[in-house]
Amino acid sequence: MHLRVSIRAVTLALTGLFVVSACGGGGTTSQNLASPDKQVINMNDGTEPNSYDPTQQTYVYEAAVGRNVFETLLKSNKEGTDVISAAAESYKVSDDGLTYTFKLRSGAKWSDGKAVTAADWVYGYKHLLNPALAAGYVDPFFDSTIKGADGYGDVDVSKASAIDTFLSSLGLTAPDPNTFVITLQHPAAFFKWVVTLWMAAPIRQDVVEQAAGGTFPSSDTTKAEIWAQKAATIIGNGAFKISEIVSKDHVTLVPNPSYWGGAPHLQKIVLWFIEDANTAYAKYQTGDLDAITVPLANVDVVRNDPKLSKEAKVYPKLTTFWMAYNAQKPPFDNPKVRMAFAKSIDRDKLNKQVQHGIQQSISSFIPKGMAGYDTSNNAQSFDAAAAKKLLTDAGVTADQLNKFKLLTRNTTRNKTLNQFIVDQWNTNLGLNLQLEVIDSKTVTSRLRKGQFDLYGPDGWGADYPDQQDWFDLFFKGACHSLNWGCADIPGYDDLVKKADSELDQNQRNADYKKAQDMLIDQAVVGFIFQDYEYNLIKPYLGGLTITASDDQSLPGSLFWHDAFVTQH
Amino acid sequence: MAVDAGRPKRGALLPKRMAAVTDSRLGSLGVYILRRVLWMIPVVFFVIVITFVLMHSATGSPWDKTGGRQLSQVVVDNLNKKYGLDRPVFEQFLLYLWNVLHFDFGLSYQYQGKSVIQLISEGWPYTATIGTLAFLLIVPVGVGLGVLAALRQNTRVDYATMGFATLAASFPNFVVGALMVVLFSVLTYKWTGGNFFLPAGGWGVDDHLVMPVITLSLLPIAYTARLTRASTLETIRQDYIRTAWAKGLPERLVVIRHVLKNSLIPVVTTLGPTFAFLVTGSVIVETVFSIPGIGRAFVVAVTSRDYPMILGTTVLFSIVIATANLIVDVLYVFIDPRVRLT
Repeated sequence: MHLRVSIRAVTLALTGLFVVSACGGGGTTSQNLASPDKQVINMNDGTEPNSYDPTQQTYVYEAAVGRNVFETLLKSNKEGTDVISAAAESYKVSDDGLTYTFKLRSGAKWSDGKAVTAADWVYGYKHLLNPALAAGYVDPFFDSTIKGADGYGDVDVSKASAIDTFLSSLGLTAPDPNTFVITLQHPAAFFKWVVTLWMAAPIRQDVVEQAAGGTFPSSDTTKAEIWAQKAATIIGNGAFKISEIVSKDHVTLVPNPSYWGGAPHLQKIVLWFIEDANTAYAKYQTGDLDAITVPLANVDVVRNDPKLSKEAKVYPKLTTFWMAYNAQKPPFDNPKVRMAFAKSIDRDKLNKQVQHGIQQSISSFIPKGMAGYDTSNNAQSFDAAAAKKLLTDAGVTADQLNKFKLLTRNTTRNKTLNQFIVDQWNTNLGLNLQLEVIDSKTVTSRLRKGQFDLYGPDGWGADYPDQQDWFDLFFKGACHSLNWGCADIPGYDDLVKKADSELDQNQRNADYKKAQDMLIDQAVVGFIFQDYEYNLIKPYLGGLTITASDDQSLPGSLFWHDAFVTQH
Repeated sequence: MAVDAGRPKRGALLPKRMAAVTDSRLGSLGVYILRRVLWMIPVVFFVIVITFVLMHSATGSPWDKTGGRQLSQVVVDNLNKKYGLDRPVFEQFLLYLWNVLHFDFGLSYQYQGKSVIQLISEGWPYTATIGTLAFLLIVPVGVGLGVLAALRQNTRVDYATMGFATLAASFPNFVVGALMVVLFSVLTYKWTGGNFFLPAGGWGVDDHLVMPVITLSLLPIAYTARLTRASTLETIRQDYIRTAWAKGLPERLVVIRHVLKNSLIPVVTTLGPTFAFLVTGSVIVETVFSIPGIGRAFVVAVTSRDYPMILGTTVLFSIVIATANLIVDVLYVFIDPRVRLT
C-alpha cells in the first residue's frame, strides 16, 4: 500500500546520477541477448486504467499504458533536464513566446500503417479539450495556456454548436500535413513540458468515428469513447500497441510495426493489475513478475536475503510529502503556531523507524532531482526546544490545541505515519492530540469543504520537472484543490505568476526560490519527506533507463523501447 | 367448513381447468415457484431504494480524488451533467428505475464507457467459477466430516474432525491465503528449484484455482461439518433410527437412507445462503490471489462511489440470494416428505 500521492505522474530526475542501468554490468552483445521469444517482460501496473483513451488518463497506472501506446510531440531526456524530440522532429518558439511550431517527423506512422498527419494532432488536442468529455488534466495545464481555451469552463456542454464554436476558436492549426502550430494566451516558458504530458496525444478521427458507427455530435460523450474499449481500435503512434486487454487482469503490449524509431528488442510487455503488494512480491519470487515495489513490511527481509538484496534498487521520485494545517482556524492562522508544528517532527527518526530508512527527510518543497531543490532554508528543520518556544511566544496553550484532530486516510501506511507524527507533536510540544481515521473519499470531501484541523501526509508528484508544476498548488485559488489550509501569503500568487510567464530561466529560478522561501517561512505546510522507490528488478532485464519520473512500480517505463532481456 | 377469512382458497382465483394442475404435487410446486419469483420484484425494488438512499447519503462524490490535485469545479459540473448527477436525486431515482425496467443498468463512473452489465459479465464468471468449485468441495467434505464425527462421537476421529473445524473457522481467510502463498508458492518454488509450485495469484482454469478455492471453502466446510454433526447426533437418537437398527438394516442403509436424509434439513437451509455468499465473491480471496472477480469490483465501486456499479452489483446479489433461498425451499420438498409448499 503506498500513499496515494498525487495521482499525476511523476517526471524526472535532474542529474545522470539517478539514471541507473539495471543491466548487470557488461554491454549488450548479440550473444547475451535472449532469443526473441524470450523477449517478454511481466510488470505490475497495480490497477487497470480507467480508460485507454490517453486524453482521459490521469493516474500513474494509466499513464504507463498511454505513454507507451501514444507518443507525444516532445519527451523528457533521460536526465530530466530538458525536453528532446519525439513525435515532433523539431520545434520553434516565436520571439514573443506565443507561437509554438512543431515540425512533425516525416514518415511517422500509426500502428495500422497510415501516416501521422498534423490533422491527427489537431483532432487529438481538440478531443482532449472538448469540455463535454471532462478530461481530468485539461485544467490547469491546457486551459490556462492554449489560446482560446480560457473559455473552457463557460461552454454549455449540452449544445454541440457551443462546443464546436469553442473548439474551432482554439489556437491549434495544421498549416500543412507536417506542421502543427499551437498558439498561447500568454508566454509560458514551461509549455514545452506541457506537450510532454501523455494526454497531449494525436488521435485518429476516422477510427473514432468508425467505432462510433459514423459521425456524431461533439456533445455525445458515449460515442466519443467507444474506440478506446477494444484493443483492435486503439490505434496509436507509440513504440508499442495493445494486443490484448483482459479486463482487471492484464493488458499486453507488443511492438508497433510501423513505429518510426525501429523495432524494439522486447516482443511483449505484459502489465498485470495486481493490487496487493504482497501478492506481487510472491509472484516476483516465483518468477511471474520481473520487477516490483517491495512492500514496506518486507524491506528488511529483502535486505537480509543474499539473493534478493542484489536485485534491489533504490531511486528517488519527484514527490514531496507534507503536513497541512487549516489556516482558516485559529490559532493555525498564526504562522508561529504552524511553524511550531513543522519544527517538532523528527524527520530522520520518522524515516528510520517507520519507513525503514528508504525515504529522504526534507524540510523544503522542491524535491532532489529537479531545478529548484534547495536545502539552504532550514527554518522548518527539527528543533523541539525552538518549536516549544514558538508556541509560548504565540501565547497558545496546550488546552487550546488539544481539541484538534489529525485527519487521516484509512490506509495502513497513512495510519502508521500519522501515529508517529502525532506522537512527535505530543511529546515535543507537550500536547495530547488524537488521530481521526476515516475512509479516503470522506477525507477528500471534508478537505474540500475545509472541515479539518490538521491533515496529512499530503504530497505532490511532479507531472514534469518544471517548478511551475509545483508552485501553483499553493495559489489562493487552489484553496479547495490542494492548498487545503488556505493560508494567506501576501504577494505569493503574483510572484509565481510572474515566474511562470518569464522567458529568462535564471530570473524564473530566482523568483521560484523566493516563492519557496515564503512557503517555508510562513509554514504554509510542514514538509517532511521525499519519496523514494524501493524496487526489486530481475538481473536479466537489460537496457533499462530508470528515472525519477518512471511510473510507480514500473522501472524504466519511459524508455522501454531500448530495454531487453538477457539470457538467463 | 371453516374458511380463512380474507384469503381465497388456494387456486380459487384460477380458472377451473387449472385446478388439476394446482392440486397435483408438482403443479402446486410450479405455482409456488412462480409466486416466489414474482415476489423478487418488490424485493429488488426495496433493495434498490435502500441502496440508493444509503449510497447518496455517504459523504464524498465520485469525482473526489483520494490524493493529489482535485478536479476543478468546471470539470466536476461537466461530469455531473454527463452522468445526470445534476438532476434532483428523486428524478435520478425514477430515471434509474425506468432504465432498470429496460435492463439498462447505466454506465460505470470509474471505467469510462463501460456499462455496468459489461463489467458484471466480465467479472462474475471468475467469481462464480471459484464459488461453485468451493461449494462442490464444501458439500461432500463438510457433510462427510460432520457425519463421520457424529457416528464416531467422542472418539479420536470426532476430536480430530472438530479440532480441524475449530481451527479452520478461527483462521481468517487472509491469513490462510497468505500462509498458503508463502508455503505452496514461494517456499515450494525455492525447494524445488522452480520446478513445482502453485501460482501465487492470477487467473487460469488449472492449478491457479487450488489455493483460492481451498481458502474460500475452509470456513464454510468447518461450519457445515459442525452443523451436520449436531444435527446427525440429534437424528441418531430418534426412535425411527432405533427401529431401523432393530430391523437389522446394514449401517450403510441406516446412515444414508434414514440418518442423512433427516439430518440434512438444517444443513440444506444454510447451504443456500452459503452458495449465494460464495458466488457473489470474497473481496479478500480475490485480492490476495489477484482474481478479477465481482467481489473486489463491488468493494472498489463502494470506495470510489461508482453509483451505477454499486446498484448493479447489489441488485445482482439480491437476486442471487433470493434464488438460492428459493432453491433451498424447493429442495425441502424432495428431502422431507412432510414439507408441503402452499
